[in-house]
Amino acid sequence: MKSEPVLPQRSEKTVALLWLAVCLTLALVLAVLLPRSQLNSSVLALLPQQNLGQAPAEIQHGFMQRLDRQLVWLVSANDQDGDAVAAWWQAQLQALPMLKQVSGALDDDQMQRWGAYAFQHRNGLIDPATRARLQNGGGAQADWILAQLFSAFAGVGSKEIGNDPLLLVRGAQLALQQSANKMLLHNGWLTVNDAQQRRWYFLHGELASNAFSIKESHQLVTALNQLEQQLKTRWPDAQLLTRGTVLFSDNASQRAQHDVETLGSATLAGLLLLVWLVFRSLRPLALCALSVAIGAMAGTVLTLLCFGELHLTTLVMSLSIVGISADYTLYYLTERMVHGEQATPWQSLHKVRGTLLLALGTTAIAWLLMLLAPFPGLRQLAVFAASGLSASCLTVICFYPWLVRGLPVRPIPAMVWLARWLAAWRRNNGLKRGLPALVAIYALSGMLQLKVDDDIAHLQSAPAQLLAQDRQLAQLTGQQADQTWFVVWGDDEQQALQRLSALAPQLQQAQQQGWLASYRVLPLSSLAQQQQDVALLQQAAPTILDRLKQAGITVANANLNAMPVIAADWLASPLSEGWRLLWLSLPDGRSSVLVPIGGVKNSAALQQLASQQAGVSWVDRKANYDELFRFWRTLLSGLLALALLLITASYMLRLGVKAGLRSALPSWLSLAAALATLGWIGASLNLFALLALILVLGIGINYTLFFSNPRGTPLTSMLAVTLAMMTTLLTLGMLVFSSTAAISGFGTVLCSGIFCAFLLAPLALAPGKRKQR
Amino acid sequence: MRILCLLLLVICANASAVTLEQLQQRFASQPVIRANFVQVRTIAGMAQPLVSRGQLLIAQQQGLWWQQATPFPLMLILDDKRMVQSMSGQPPQVITADSNPQMFQFNHLLRALFQADEKVLRENFALDFHDLGNHRWQLGLTPKAAPLNKIFNRIDLQGEAFLNRITLDDKQGDKTEITLSATRTEPKQLTDEERARFAPAQ
Repeated sequence: MKSEPVLPQRSEKTVALLWLAVCLTLALVLAVLLPRSQLNSSVLALLPQQNLGQAPAEIQHGFMQRLDRQLVWLVSANDQDGDAVAAWWQAQLQALPMLKQVSGALDDDQMQRWGAYAFQHRNGLIDPATRARLQNGGGAQADWILAQLFSAFAGVGSKEIGNDPLLLVRGAQLALQQSANKMLLHNGWLTVNDAQQRRWYFLHGELASNAFSIKESHQLVTALNQLEQQLKTRWPDAQLLTRGTVLFSDNASQRAQHDVETLGSATLAGLLLLVWLVFRSLRPLALCALSVAIGAMAGTVLTLLCFGELHLTTLVMSLSIVGISADYTLYYLTERMVHGEQATPWQSLHKVRGTLLLALGTTAIAWLLMLLAPFPGLRQLAVFAASGLSASCLTVICFYPWLVRGLPVRPIPAMVWLARWLAAWRRNNGLKRGLPALVAIYALSGMLQLKVDDDIAHLQSAPAQLLAQDRQLAQLTGQQADQTWFVVWGDDEQQALQRLSALAPQLQQAQQQGWLASYRVLPLSSLAQQQQDVALLQQAAPTILDRLKQAGITVANANLNAMPVIAADWLASPLSEGWRLLWLSLPDGRSSVLVPIGGVKNSAALQQLASQQAGVSWVDRKANYDELFRFWRTLLSGLLALALLLITASYMLRLGVKAGLRSALPSWLSLAAALATLGWIGASLNLFALLALILVLGIGINYTLFFSNPRGTPLTSMLAVTLAMMTTLLTLGMLVFSSTAAISGFGTVLCSGIFCAFLLAPLALAPGKRKQR
Repeated sequence: MRILCLLLLVICANASAVTLEQLQQRFASQPVIRANFVQVRTIAGMAQPLVSRGQLLIAQQQGLWWQQATPFPLMLILDDKRMVQSMSGQPPQVITADSNPQMFQFNHLLRALFQADEKVLRENFALDFHDLGNHRWQLGLTPKAAPLNKIFNRIDLQGEAFLNRITLDDKQGDKTEITLSATRTEPKQLTDEERARFAPAQ
């Protein structure tokens, strides 16, 4: 055993100064990063992105980000006020700096530009129906033109037939209308009528910036709520429906902030009380707070550096890390409190340093195991926890010997009770056998009631009022929030468009098969297709004009030149209004189109269809996630079982079969009891519960390790473990009360598992260590 | 299409109405109307007007059936839920109310007129009703709002016992005149053959 220095060595001073420099740097970085950071509150963001189909990740990300920026309003009032109310609402929205591209009524100018663009590019914008009529010589198109001309109700005017004798613009426009949704045009407004013939006006807008922080989101939602109040004051029977991811994320982040504030302060108060009861002095409180604060700061900075954002779950779960990081301070201070008279702070440090590092190591490894799972949110949590805990621990090791001088020395509180508890474990066979047996019965009976549920929808608990509004909006507009679509992509714009046109006929077939109810294909052809169309036009035009002449109709010659349309121009034109969201081009030219699919009946068949085409993937987000949840739950179950077996085997190798099994028993039972608690309270087993089990295993093993630590005495180990358990329960116990189902389930599993691990940890006491007491 | 609905509406006005309300009240009493039509479309810049002839049938429950016989056959059916246009040699073109409510907007509007809902009518058109004497009457409709007012200057309906003529005055200077003749209201119910015309398109 190496000698234990009584006084600080030069190297320790250096280390302390170094750590101080690191802390100051961290603080500086935090001050720079924090104001620009954003909080991600979507449960979906917890999930892996690479499984969203095979499209390039940048494309997926770009689409997701864009969809998250959209806002849609439906506003309605009584019949006379409708236009005025909608116009007022549009004006108010346009005045909000947090929104951009607020669109409502189309003005005459826009209508004209719409018509002008469609006319100037008519030979490049030929729709599939017109294309079919042009084939075989063009007779069908001639018939169609005649029918349009003779119909009083079609309204073909002299201007139209004079400019566009083949009626190409009309054909394209009819095709667009065929694929249009339930909207009708009313005085330039897109409107939709409900069952009571109440007219709703449609407005659309986007968040002004890509990176929308919690603060901005909340400002926007607050402003919108105020405007809605004003609207209802001015027009008492006006109604408003809003849809946007920002509403849900703001609601979630407000609840999370509420969680953090209330649960956080309750946790903190509990911790402070605990520390006060044990130490009866203010300084340990301050020291606890210091290490926790440095840990939280390091965690935040590293997470922001690695991921650029903080996930809501990370934020709320960081509460649990606060509790665990306080443990290190408590270990050291306990040591000082008991042995402060006989040992210098440095002697104490050297005595506990090994234990501290071992504890840090096992806990950090348990957290870092989560890095394996391809879930961005959980990876954040892992990074946050591992770095936060390390920083807390290093703070204790580097600073505290300097800071604890003069701390009062007191006997171990509740020493009698702890000693009796330990003695009972040694002598009382009833306890030694009975308690594990009781836990086993509890575990078995609870696990029998356990249900498995991989439905991701149960994880997100959006408020009923937002959901109802969303449902009503979906019903009115026919725009479901199903998030089922094909993603078609290519190395460049033309490849994407060619792949899109190869997909379109398949979709029609799929519709006929009843696999899907509706689809929307971007009305833009590849340049190759446009060339073919022009050739077709040139072939068909003479026949068509002849036929018209025979019918006594004289028209000007048609312009048969190529009128190429490329995506960028089309997107900048009013013609792409309502379609732009479906197109995405990356700076490197790679491009992608979304094809929204409604009323999916056979997701598997559509998946099959996509797999047969190059550059097409089928995305059914919910089905994908459910499947993914199931996969990872199964995989982690297997990994956990494997880990348990390995741990048991290593115990048995080290301690012999009997003692090894006894030491492993707390781990087995604590995991089983944690699962059983889920069963007893009627919650279901999902991926999050399993992740909590990993932590139960990681932290639980700590407790058994402390009891077999050769440098510690069972009684101080008992105190340390008790304190650790209490702080962990205090903090994780608060997670149980979180309003987010996933977090509360996580907390439940952790708490019951860790309490059980604590309860059974003395099983690991080797009978031969009796003398060490 | 929207004008068809107008037609559907006014063709039922058969009596010597003096007021709009009285006209409207009579609409309900004529469940089936059959007539011949001659349509003359005058398109600016075209030497000859486009003339077509045929028959039409309006049934209150089923909708409108428009059968153009010359210069080429063309059939059009319009009911609550769909619009079907058929030409010989081409698959029928079907537009449903669900897929394209825009097309059906005025259908609903004019149904309101059937029910003497003057409020809805006045919301969309400036009405100009004249009793011309001798049981003759004229109803002028001037659209007030987009998109109707972008298409038409004015729609005029004239009649006596029945609706005789519809004149559409287009913004582009084109004109369409539909003249009805041999209007019949018997039998009061559709015959089986007539009913079959409205059977859902294949």
